[in-house]
Amino acid sequence: MKAICLASATTVILLLLATLGFRFFPSRRRVRQMMMIYLACLLALIGVWSATPDDLGFLSRSLTTEPSWLDLPLALFFFSAAFFGGALQLYNLSDRGLSLRILIDVLEAPNESLDVPELMAVYGGGQGISGMYRKRIEGLIEEGFVCRAHDSIVLTAKGVNTAALFARIRHFLRLRPP
Amino acid sequence: MTTSHTFIALLSAAAWFSIFIAAHITGWRAGFENARWLMITYTTCLLGSLLTVIGISAGAGSTGFDLLALAVTFLTGACLFVMYVPAVYTVLTSLSVQTMILLHRSSGGLSEGALYDRFAGRPVVEDRLATLVASGYLVAEGTRFRLTSRGRALARIFAFVKGFWRLGPGG
Repeated sequence: MKAICLASATTVILLLLATLGFRFFPSRRRVRQMMMIYLACLLALIGVWSATPDDLGFLSRSLTTEPSWLDLPLALFFFSAAFFGGALQLYNLSDRGLSLRILIDVLEAPNESLDVPELMAVYGGGQGISGMYRKRIEGLIEEGFVCRAHDSIVLTAKGVNTAALFARIRHFLRLRPP
Repeated sequence: MTTSHTFIALLSAAAWFSIFIAAHITGWRAGFENARWLMITYTTCLLGSLLTVIGISAGAGSTGFDLLALAVTFLTGACLFVMYVPAVYTVLTSLSVQTMILLHRSSGGLSEGALYDRFAGRPVVEDRLATLVASGYLVAEGTRFRLTSRGRALARIFAFVKGFWRLGPGG
């Protein structure tokens, strides 16, 4: 139970630090900002785990993990899952979610109602649907998956490998090719 | 006794999660509706893992309710699930991934105009609107789309998060 308590507390601290970072130290590379906070919190979690007793001073004997060494990997796993599956996904959905952005655009529209041409024009707070795709292309370029060559977009070697992997997975899952 | 129960909890969660992945992918390949099938298989396997731990504890003659083992089982399954789902949706819906696959099928390159026509055009928006209607977040009224109460609640939550984190319009 020590693992659960410490991982939960560290997740709350991570969310507070991420909020402070986003609000007062705005950066274009927010994922990197979150990763730095995650790593700092991970080190702090290891430090606090090492410095505290197995029962944290208040847990009953039946709630302490034995062998005690198993508790640290559990704490790191729970915290990492809370970050990669929770906080980071919350950020990704909030910042990049196409469906969620559509819902927010409808919410912000007069009478909370839009048709397709209106939605394509006002999408993303007025940037339009092409702004959404521009963001994806720029992201792929920044991560080194594609590059610009004249007026074309071309896969890099890294992009070729990644595309081949995803194509195989989608083929296995019997998904339509894009 | 506690030692073995914690290990059993981890093993049970890992084993049942493996069964969940196998069942989910099998159903996916068979054409089952993804979101519903995902939740059915996950819930079933989570219950299976919890019942396994309860059964083994009872069989070992444990007299007390092993709260720690149940908590570890539940959390391990939940943690694996929240890391699995984003991977599923990356494969299923990511426009970045689909862009790379299309480029791969087109000998590695395409004009920007062709990519924008394919991924920033009306069909992509219509497809996503149809998914949102099918999921109960939007309702179609003629050519217009309106939020359901469920869609309004979700939109308000994420609009709040975006504002609170000062993320800008995004999307």
